[in-house]
This record gives sequence, C-alpha cells and structure tokens, in this order.
Amino acid sequence: MIHKGYGWMVAIAVAAMINGCGQPAPDGKVTPNNVYDSGGVGKDTVNIDESRYTNGQNGGMSAYNSSADGFQSLYFGFDSYAIGASMQQAIAKNAQVAREYGNRPIRVEGNCDEFGTDEYNYALGLKRAKAVKEALTVEGIDPARIRLISYGESNPACTDQTDACYAQNRRVDLRLIR
Amino acid sequence: MRAFFWFVLTAVHLFAVDASLTIETDVEQRARVAVLDASDTESRKVFRLFLSDLTVSGHFLADDTYRRDVSLGGIRDASLKGKEYLVVYRYTQTNGAKLDVKLLKASDGTELFAKRYGVAQRAKMPFLVHKAVYDINKVLRFPDISWINRYVLVARYTAPRKTDIAVADYTFSYRKSVIRGGLNLFPKWADKAQHAFYYTSYNSGVPTLYKLDLYTGRRVRIVSSEGMLVCSDVSDDGTRLLLTMAPSGQPDIYELNVRTGAKRRLTRFGGIDVGAKYAEGERSIVFVSNRLGYPNIYKKRIGSSAVSQVVYRGRNNNACDAFDTKVVYASRESRAVFGNNTFNIYLTSTDDPTTRPLTTTGSNQFPRFSTDGNVVMYIKQRGGASSVGYVNLQSGRTLLFPFDGHKLQSIDW
Repeated sequence: MIHKGYGWMVAIAVAAMINGCGQPAPDGKVTPNNVYDSGGVGKDTVNIDESRYTNGQNGGMSAYNSSADGFQSLYFGFDSYAIGASMQQAIAKNAQVAREYGNRPIRVEGNCDEFGTDEYNYALGLKRAKAVKEALTVEGIDPARIRLISYGESNPACTDQTDACYAQNRRVDLRLIR
Repeated sequence: MRAFFWFVLTAVHLFAVDASLTIETDVEQRARVAVLDASDTESRKVFRLFLSDLTVSGHFLADDTYRRDVSLGGIRDASLKGKEYLVVYRYTQTNGAKLDVKLLKASDGTELFAKRYGVAQRAKMPFLVHKAVYDINKVLRFPDISWINRYVLVARYTAPRKTDIAVADYTFSYRKSVIRGGLNLFPKWADKAQHAFYYTSYNSGVPTLYKLDLYTGRRVRIVSSEGMLVCSDVSDDGTRLLLTMAPSGQPDIYELNVRTGAKRRLTRFGGIDVGAKYAEGERSIVFVSNRLGYPNIYKKRIGSSAVSQVVYRGRNNNACDAFDTKVVYASRESRAVFGNNTFNIYLTSTDDPTTRPLTTTGSNQFPRFSTDGNVVMYIKQRGGASSVGYVNLQSGRTLLFPFDGHKLQSIDW
C-alpha cells in the first residue's frame, strides 16, 4: 500500500525553522539540524549585452569575410601556414595595392576551417597571417603598417559542409584599418 | 515536445558507456537506490536530474523506473525489494523553487537524512538537486563529488564573429547568458569560488583579456596582445595565469603574475605552442605544440628549457587538460581530411606513456578535468547533435546531456 500525504515535509520545515543552521550528521539518525539550504545558488549573475560591437563598427570590417579595399584573399592547405608558389601572384598584387595606399595601416586577418580545436585553430590562423605579413615585407611593404589578428574558425566565409567550402575558410583576408 | 526530446536523448545516452572503458569499480560496490516523487504534480525533470546525478557520481546504482505518490509506505512496494536506499523528494514552485528531500533506509524505512532546499529563481532548480545528491553522497560517506555543484562556463558561436558566453549547471539543464553580442572567447574561471572569470574580447580590434565579476559586473582589463590572446589556465591560488600570447605575431606561452604584473615567456618555438595547463603541482606545464610537424602534447618544467613529449600515438592531438600528473587529450583519428571527423578523448600521464581511451565513437573534444581530477567533461557531436559528456575515471560511468546545436568555442568547469 502506498500512502499519500506530506506530513513529513511539514515536519522538516518546522524543524528547519526551529533549529537554524548546521551540518547533517552522518550517523544514520534523523537529527534536528535539517536546514533550509540555499547557499551558493541564490545570487543572480550579471547579463551583459555587447551587441553594439557590430562588424561595421569594428575597425571597418565588412559583414562577410572576403578581403576589402582591393586586396585579395590568400588560401592555405589543411593545417598549413606555408606560402606556396601559387600564392606569389596574389602576394605581389596585394603588395601593389598596399603601396597605392601610401602609409595607411593594413589589417591581416588569419582564418581557419572548423577542423581544429579551440586554441590551436586561433594559433594556426595567426601563423597564416604572420606568413602573409612576412611575404608582404619581402615585397617592400613596411611591417610597421601591418597589424595581425586571428579569427580562428569564428569567421567562416562559407558554411556548407563541402571540401570546396572548407578550403574557402582556410584563408587570410586583408583590409585597411579605418 | 522539447522536454520529450530531452528525455529521449538522455534515456538513450544514459548508459551509453563506451565499450572500451575499463570499469574499475565493481557494480556491487555501488549503493542500490530508487528515487520516488512525492510532489503534488509529476516532476519528471527533477527525477531525471536525481537519476543522472546519482549515476554520474559513480557511487550509486540508481533504478531508472519513475515512481510517484510514495511516502514512507513505499518501502513495502515489491518493486523496491533489493534496494538499499530510497530518495524521496517533493518539488514545489511557489515563491521560487523548493525541494524537500529524504533519504530512507529501504529495509526498515529509517530516515537517514532530510533537508529542504530553496532558491528564488526557479530556473536554478537543477542546482537544488545537485546539492541534495551531494549531501546524500556525503551522508553515506562516499568520496567527495562537490564538482556537481559547480557552474560550467561555455562560449558558443551564434554568427560569424559573434559569440555568447553563458553559465550552466553541469547537465546544461540551467543555462544563462552572461555576455552576449560581440566576439568574446575562451572564458576561464578566475577563482575556486567561481565568482569571476577571464575571457578574451575582440571588440576593440586588439585581443584583450578581461576579468569579469559574475555578480557585480565589474570588469578589469588585464592585458592585450596583437594577433591572439588566450588565458588557458589559472593557478590554484588564482595569482598566476598561463597565457598564449603573440606580441610579435608568434604564438608562445607566457606566465603572468596578476599581483605584480610580471610576465615571463615559458616557450620559445618558431611554430605553434598553445593551450598550456599547470601540471605536477604547478611545477610543470603540459601544452600543445607542432614542433614535430603535427599537433601533439608536450611537457615542460617551468624554469627549465627542456621539452619532453607526453603522447606517442596519433598524428593530430590538438587539445589537452591536466590534473597533477593526469593528462587528457583530444585526438583526431579519421583518415579523411574533411567530412565527419572522428575525435576521441584519451587519458594518459606525465610520468607514464600508457594511454586509455575514454571515448570511442563520434567527435569528442574539449576535454576538461573536474576540480578533483576524477571526472572528465567533454563535448560530443554525433549526427548533427551536440551533447556534454562526463566520464567518471574511477567508476567508468559515462553520461551524456544533449544541448542545442550552436557550435561551441570553448568550455571551462
């Protein structure tokens, strides 16, 4: 037979009110120190809205991920930050565009596909951006004009689950800092 | 419908122990317990939380049959024969959330423990269940499971260059956004009490590390670095941080003393060194490096120049965590460059190269130790669904809790 009713609940509440705080005894007996316990979960946490930081306000970056201001994105192999021979033409073009802007500062942004994990991917993106900076320096661009940043896998140009799409995300974008 | 989905997935995954795990604790060493709902109206969500808490503790063999309308007389129910303990709860939602809990000896109905828990915000109900199971576990003198009371910090991508940082309970049944909008990454608890956390903000254009008090909203700028900046670990006393920084475009590992502001570079490698964790009583760091041409796990004694390899299997081991000499790491194992990748979590040690798989199917990443080093949290993605998983290293029990599909950026426990 299963009984209904909650007399025991009332008893607990009354015991709690009468007896105040204390730790439950581990001796298997009911003790009068059964308390109303809300410690550690009662306080509410903050909630901060940073939606004002839009792409447009963040250094003039576009809503999408291709290069801007006449620069050309460069694409890398899987888990690679090497500048290959096939990238030299794009490097030369970007150096030419950079020269046309005089001494204006340039942001070089490293990006990755989604197949790494957290921190390593951000470092991989940074190594790609650094490789492009060094290649531009070899082309005569003042390294002091170039700022590096890695967006890791946070900034995909393409979100389809295809090899071609993943390849678009292993890239470095360039744009002027406004 | 959502609740049903949650239930089905939890039920499916509840005992989905990976086949290769070694079960170290004999089943008979766990206490056989049944959970009974004495609430005015059915509260199956509370029941499921009790069930998962008891199971993941590794100390209980919990009966997954939902029973209600049972009070002290329930112990005469034939279906409860063979149980050692009964947990009876009553959940109410007037003026917040309240949970009355009793622990009874099943054989004779002796009351071993009774307590009332309450919180003003109903959404925090899961924490009441976690505290109750923590107390029951303590009353029965099982090893400490205080990690079930802790918040989990999680950063998720919501759009390109947009993230949301939230706090959650370990089952993700409770979740609240604390920073939304902008690009804010790599949240990391700043103190044992979980009052504040560090995170990297990209919102000024230069990666900047901030410390945010979770209750007052006070935010303090710690340091900035061009390129990238991550706080990958915090010392036990909260005074030193391990950072991945790139002041000249080269990602290396630094240690920052937050009291003095003194900073020292711990690695000097031309490739990638990231993700450092304190190990071996904070005398060493364990980190990810590609110094042999692929990402792998290495160890370095702080103050020494020698670097030693920790893991000798796999060709893409790109994330790790450490607890004293224990190391867990994620290894990418699929042969295809793209597509549905297999990542698995392995357990190894800084003083013994033996490895033990903790997962065997799907994509398992972001391994994180509990504060006592006895449980490993990870994120599993399988068939388009994401779950947070827990492996109890002592009992071998595994639990998975589904959550929505936003891609995770980082997680801390």
